[in-house]
Formats: sequence, C-alpha cells, structure tokens
Amino acid sequence: MILTGSEILKEWQAGRIDIRPFNHDQVNPNSYDFRLGPIIKTYINYILDPSLPNPTVETIIPESGLILQPGRIYLGHTLEIMGSDHYVPIIRGKSSTARLGLFIHVTSDLIDIGSHNQWTLQLNPVQPIKLYPNMRIGQVTFWKVIGEITLYKGKYQGSMGPYGSLIHLDFEEKKLKV
Amino acid sequence: MILTGSEIRQEVKNGRIFVEPFNETCLNPNSYNYHLGKRIKIAPLEVIDPKQKMAWNEIEIPEEGLILQPNYLYLGHTLEKIGSSYFVTSLIGRSSIGRLGLYLQLSADLGQLGAIHRWTLEMTVIQPLRIYKGMIVGQVSFWKPIGKIISYNGEYGNVSTPGESKIF
Repeated sequence: MILTGSEILKEWQAGRIDIRPFNHDQVNPNSYDFRLGPIIKTYINYILDPSLPNPTVETIIPESGLILQPGRIYLGHTLEIMGSDHYVPIIRGKSSTARLGLFIHVTSDLIDIGSHNQWTLQLNPVQPIKLYPNMRIGQVTFWKVIGEITLYKGKYQGSMGPYGSLIHLDFEEKKLKV
Repeated sequence: MILTGSEIRQEVKNGRIFVEPFNETCLNPNSYNYHLGKRIKIAPLEVIDPKQKMAWNEIEIPEEGLILQPNYLYLGHTLEKIGSSYFVTSLIGRSSIGRLGLYLQLSADLGQLGAIHRWTLEMTVIQPLRIYKGMIVGQVSFWKPIGKIISYNGEYGNVSTPGESKIF
C-alpha cells in the first residue's frame, strides 16, 4: 500500500520518514517532489567496465543552467536527504520532466529501507535538455512493508552528492574468495 | 504491500516464492539480487516491425565479457528462475549498474502472478559498457495483491532463454 500525501506529512512529523529540508508545498496527493542538487558527475572514460573503478569528474550546475546531451551518463543527486526505517521509498521522475524526455534513474527506482542519503540520480536525456539547480525533478513515494525489517547497511549509506558506481567492489570481493 | 528481505526468505522456505538457485546472501532489505545469465540476443540495426519476426543474433557472453554498444537493443535473461503464484513480482536493475547507464528493462517492470521462469531482460546502454555473465545486475521485489488470483497462462510463461517479442 502506498502512503497518501497527508500520511507522508504525518509520518515525517512523527520522525518515521526522513526528508531534509522538508517543504509542505512539495507534498503531492500520493508522493513528495524532490529537487535537483547542485553537483553533476560524469565518467572520464567513455567505455565503462564494472570490474574496474570508473573515475568521474565533477561539475557544479550554474544558476544559468547546464545542458545535458544524449549519449552520456550524468550522475546528479537530490537536494534533500531522504529515507525511512519504516517504509520503502520508490523514486520517479515528474511527468513534467519526463514530457521533456528526461530519465532520472536507469531502471533502479527501488530504495532499500533504512537507506538515508542524498540519492544519486542517473540522468539521461532523450534530446538535449537544460537543467537548473534546485528545480523539482522527481518524486518519491512511500510503501508499507510486510515482514520483519532489516535496515540497509550497504556501501552507499550516508552518501552526499552524486556517487559513481562502486560495483567493482563486487569483483574485488570475488577475487579474494577464490 | 512490499515484502521485506526476511519475509522473502520465509516465503521461499514456505514454497510460496520460487527462486532457483536461491542464495541468502542475495537478500536485500526489501528485494532479492538476481544474476545475469549467459545468453544474449542482439537486435538487428534496422526498423523494427512488430508484425514481422526479427532476425536476432544470439550469442553467449564470453569469459572476458561483452561490450554493449549504445543504440542497440539486447535481450538478456536472469540466471535464476523466479516467480510466484502468491505475490506479484517487479523486476528492476540495481543502482550500481544503473549508475553505469545500463537499462535492464524498458518500462515493463511488472511480472504476472504464476509466471515462473528465467526473466527476459530488455537491455540498452547509454555509453559502451562491458558486461560479464553471472554478475549481479538487478533486483526483484515481491508485492502482496488484493483479490482472487488467476495465474498467468501466457506465451512467455515458461521461457528460459532470452524470449524475443511474440507480438507478431
């Protein structure tokens, strides 16, 4: 079951949903709008390999905006720190940005319960698009769970700003085991 | 409502969720990690006509991996057979691979009750990306439905290699 906007507000007030900073006018009928943070990361290499570290370079989005091009991965982040130890968050774009052809995640919309971060957005435009810092870019929904809760303790916990993939750690772990 | 990791483990034990092979270390707080199977189908670079059967090129991912190229459509599959007649499955990529620009499904994340198979993954990349067989690429979550269950009886129900579209 999905929480309504008034339930999101109530659970935020009760400390069971974490959204910092929180603005009442970003609450929707059944989601909360989040905003784009100022930092964008891109990969230095064009060809990427998950078994190796993929170094990134950082750009600050100017007030005048930054144009994203198709064919490159841009890692952005939510301005808000968000998470919950009680509900599962799922993120989405806003239909207003989707209508302009912007993907805000690459098929990874499900957040682990207990993960509190500025969430990394995987930005991918269909056509060139200009993005501005602090713009409303997506929305988060909160879902009730069945079963005993074990909180997230993974490698992205507490991350601030966009985080490049740490998937190479999987491959390093495997090598150690062999 | 979505099942937590411990509830997924319990329902696998109860036989109400099917994951084969099942490995407890693949449980997340509210999902299960799946691995990439070894077969890949590559779509020809031409206009796709849903009324025509397509000439897919099927290969096995070599040990050293396979570089996926942008603008191509690939069909992969999960290593695991996954499904449930009691809980609705939803299949996505993991953020570690999304951050590298690999789409694992194309706006078709919803599974049907009773469909138990190796799931076909609709893959496309933003930048060239090397993939390896057997790597963890995504997650499946399980959701409790409301209402009487009529199990899936469709054309993709027991497909176990990358199943191409049968829309024609």
